[in-house]
Amino acid sequence: MKRQRLTPYLLLLPGLFPIVAFMSLVVGMAVSQSIGYFNFAGDDRFSLEFWEGMLSQNQFWRVFWYSARIAILSSLISVMLAYPVALWLRRPFPGSDLISAMIKAPLLVHGLVAAFLFVNFISFQGFLNVALVKLGLIDRPIRMQNDSYAIGVVILQVWKNMPLAFLVITGSVRAIGDDILDAARDLGAGSLARLRRVILPLTLRALQAALILIFIGAAGDWSFQVVAGPTNIQSMAQFMHRVQSDNAAHGWNEAAVVAVMLMALSLFGSLTLAGLMQLIVRRMGR
Amino acid sequence: MAQASTALSVRSASLRYGTFQALSEISFEASQGQLVTLLGPSGCGKTTLLKAIAGFIPLDGGTVEIKGQDMQDVPPEKRDTAMCFQSYALFPHLTVADNIGFGLRQRRLGAQDIATRVAAVAEQVGLSSQLGKLPGQLSGGQQQRVALARAMAVRPGVMLFDEPLSNLDAKLRDHVRMEIRALQREHGFTAVYVTHDQAEALAMSDLVIVMRAGVIEQMGRPEDIYRFPANRFVADFIGTANIMPLRILDVDRTRGEYKVSSPLGEAVVRSDTPPVSDHIYACWRPEDAQITKPTADAQNRFEVRVTTRTFLGSQCDFSVHPLGDATNRYRIQTHGFAPVSEGETIGVVIAPDAIRFLAEAVR
Repeated sequence: MKRQRLTPYLLLLPGLFPIVAFMSLVVGMAVSQSIGYFNFAGDDRFSLEFWEGMLSQNQFWRVFWYSARIAILSSLISVMLAYPVALWLRRPFPGSDLISAMIKAPLLVHGLVAAFLFVNFISFQGFLNVALVKLGLIDRPIRMQNDSYAIGVVILQVWKNMPLAFLVITGSVRAIGDDILDAARDLGAGSLARLRRVILPLTLRALQAALILIFIGAAGDWSFQVVAGPTNIQSMAQFMHRVQSDNAAHGWNEAAVVAVMLMALSLFGSLTLAGLMQLIVRRMGR
Repeated sequence: MAQASTALSVRSASLRYGTFQALSEISFEASQGQLVTLLGPSGCGKTTLLKAIAGFIPLDGGTVEIKGQDMQDVPPEKRDTAMCFQSYALFPHLTVADNIGFGLRQRRLGAQDIATRVAAVAEQVGLSSQLGKLPGQLSGGQQQRVALARAMAVRPGVMLFDEPLSNLDAKLRDHVRMEIRALQREHGFTAVYVTHDQAEALAMSDLVIVMRAGVIEQMGRPEDIYRFPANRFVADFIGTANIMPLRILDVDRTRGEYKVSSPLGEAVVRSDTPPVSDHIYACWRPEDAQITKPTADAQNRFEVRVTTRTFLGSQCDFSVHPLGDATNRYRIQTHGFAPVSEGETIGVVIAPDAIRFLAEAVR
């Protein structure tokens, strides 16, 4: 009997073990290095000096909040764009498969390639500037590349992540049976009431999943930031790399602090966003 | 314009999907407090008609009036209807109480009024102890009751049932069927009930509408539909019927009696309605035949051979064929035990008024 109860858990081990082991290894290594262990340039001893040093830097907090802002904007805009499209494509119509395939196409293009194409498109002598000049809308090219508001990075993040949000939300939206929506309608719910009281609550989990996935990816972005990001500020990933390479003595330890903070941002930021979404959806459903 | 007591009036309702005629000139009326059943096989258009009444499917032609008001431009959410779906269509994220109160909130009733009415309806359908549960935590029968309570709570002018019992097991189906009928009578709401189960239709309805391929084959009280089916389709679809072709040999108009030849032999048919042709179909029900002693003498007595005999407890079911003609098979049912064996030749008597002409000539 006891063995029978254990069997399902034993069967899970081959799959669970590598996941848990590798995750623990990475998180454990980062946390250990941030508090002075695995020190490549000195004694291995417990110390909070790297945390104190990093958290007292204004530059770190600028980078932290910049990455948080990019992650929040990217995830919210991606989900807000994907949601109505997923609703629109809920019921098949002629051409809906083609539209759906086109929306998902960016998933097949590597982010770095997309970033270079985007930079080419908006560069000083790129297609957009040339077109605007030739159309007579502007007298001379505008500098759009590496804008200081990181609009280019957000555009790239949305371009890349909107299909992911669409994919996650579509499954959930399509799982709502026609009968459920007809029942709501039959009981007097108009379009907005159906959205607020039936569709949004039933797709809340998908919305949250999409927000979490995109937030984590955008918070840890390196390639979009390096190619198309502003030059006056760095992302967390970029900053981590710079800290590690600039400081020969304790570079790894300081980079580990940034890494742990990045993980914390990903975890708490995404959960906060998902929690807020739940609050909003519940309030709307009342 | 429909009469004041008419709760629902459907006139010349037509709908076409490409080349497929889903509904063709459907017309009927339901009086206040009547339960009307749309009965027919899958694909006959009964659910389409129900959804057209609810407003989910726009008609190509014809009108739907609810309490005298034309529903042409009225969207489903504004119609005075409430539907019980085949799949129940309960909101999985809402508790039983919130499901039942959904329509009341849409009608902007106060929280206290909603709570009072939800409690009252839940009490009526026996769900008072389940109000805090989610639909996924309920049995099929309980979910069906929630769907019923949700529709009843808004006190609609017309209640629409789309095969609400088809997902329940046989025993529960009988029980819920009686409950629905009792509630309908108690509250006097008008209902349109879709089913393909003829027993359900006969047991529940004030008016049965038999449909096939988008048209009404026959409409009437359950007992009339059963006793006087209009054609072979209705006779066969409602209960069990023995259908046979007849040729009219002679007519006694004063007594309303027709001498006919049938596969069973020469017979007499008594009918108030004259046959539509000299060569037509007629039907009789298995329980209309009485087994007699081979020597007995009676009108419409035929000799048949028993091919199969099935004992069903309260009745016996026989398959028989005329002597010398094994191609025509007929079913006979007797109440209780009948001491007849397979292969035996027996005499059966069918009363002249038990054989009914169908309004369908043999071509």
